[in-house]
Amino acid sequence: MAEATGVGYFIYGVVPSDVEPTEDARGLGDPAAPVTVVTHGEVAALVSEIGLDRPLGRPDDLVAYKQLLDGTAVEAPVLPIRFGTVLESRDAVTELLSAAHDDYLAALNELDGRVEYVVRGRYVEQAVLTEVLAENPEAEELRQQLRGAPENSSMDLRMRLGELINEGVEARRAADTDRLVDALTAVSVASVLRPPTHEQDAAHAAFLVETERRAEFEEAVERLADDEWSGRVNVKMLGPLAPYDFAARPQPQG
Amino acid sequence: MTSAIQPSGGGGVSRGGGSSSDLAEVVGTILDKGIVIDAHVSVGIVGIKLLTIDARVVVASVDTYLRFAEATNRLDLTSSQGKGLPEIVQGPKGALMEKAGDVLGELVGGESRERAPRRRRREED
Repeated sequence: MAEATGVGYFIYGVVPSDVEPTEDARGLGDPAAPVTVVTHGEVAALVSEIGLDRPLGRPDDLVAYKQLLDGTAVEAPVLPIRFGTVLESRDAVTELLSAAHDDYLAALNELDGRVEYVVRGRYVEQAVLTEVLAENPEAEELRQQLRGAPENSSMDLRMRLGELINEGVEARRAADTDRLVDALTAVSVASVLRPPTHEQDAAHAAFLVETERRAEFEEAVERLADDEWSGRVNVKMLGPLAPYDFAARPQPQG
Repeated sequence: MTSAIQPSGGGGVSRGGGSSSDLAEVVGTILDKGIVIDAHVSVGIVGIKLLTIDARVVVASVDTYLRFAEATNRLDLTSSQGKGLPEIVQGPKGALMEKAGDVLGELVGGESRERAPRRRRREED
């Protein structure tokens, strides 16, 4: 590893060599540094200079990284490089590109004309608790028992109730995750499950979508949210995004 | 660079995306993603310090159970038989539940609850 002094090159992602950042494209730093390309063969890296005297990962850094990649993704295929990757010189960037040129090119071809969406469902608390209680007599009985009990008593019963509810929610999450993927399989190229970010998450997954079918995909998400999941799951859709979940090895759906 | 997303007529989906700057969303989207370049592949990698970036990982724990139990106790199923839930929840009981929340907060360590999921699991009764 080189020593961290002076200036380095923060690398955002790899693109086809015919991609050129616009003049106003900016990356990390304060003031935000201009984004340039380092080209090798048919691929190029999006980079910007960065001072090595400060740690990376402040909110502005993360936002700038993501905005550059997401903005690029709607114009051209891009392989995101893990946040925080800094090389010591432009020559080192070239070396990196040459070492994996063919792999990058193949992955870029695979991602051409495709963007990512992330869809997350979050349960409406009252709705999911009501569902779980309705099918679990033990939980319902505990709930009745605990009503009106002093709040710091009967800790064992509270724990047991919480455990049963959690089991019920987890089972529902598994089913609703399947449902989400089923509903969107026809309008996407591939999907990757993401771990839940909250204990009341109903589903969380990333989808690779043909740019031409973006409207169709978004409509399918809306249909699920407005019909079947209306009143029980709130849906959030992020995208179009750079293919964060599909960069390593894009896998066609089986 | 970012494309604007027009909010659609449909009410059920909230959107974010290229222009989203909600930090939690940003972190959640990019954390641990992207191609990893390690020092074995490139000698030119600079070891630059990364600030700790937290993402919430959900591990079912005692804390989870207590929160679910609390939420279940707040629930009043009269709503499934008709109307009247809001009045009941906001009645004198509301104050009681707040107090219960405080007690639970003390028991499970307050605000660090979600950030530091513990792996203790409750033994089967």
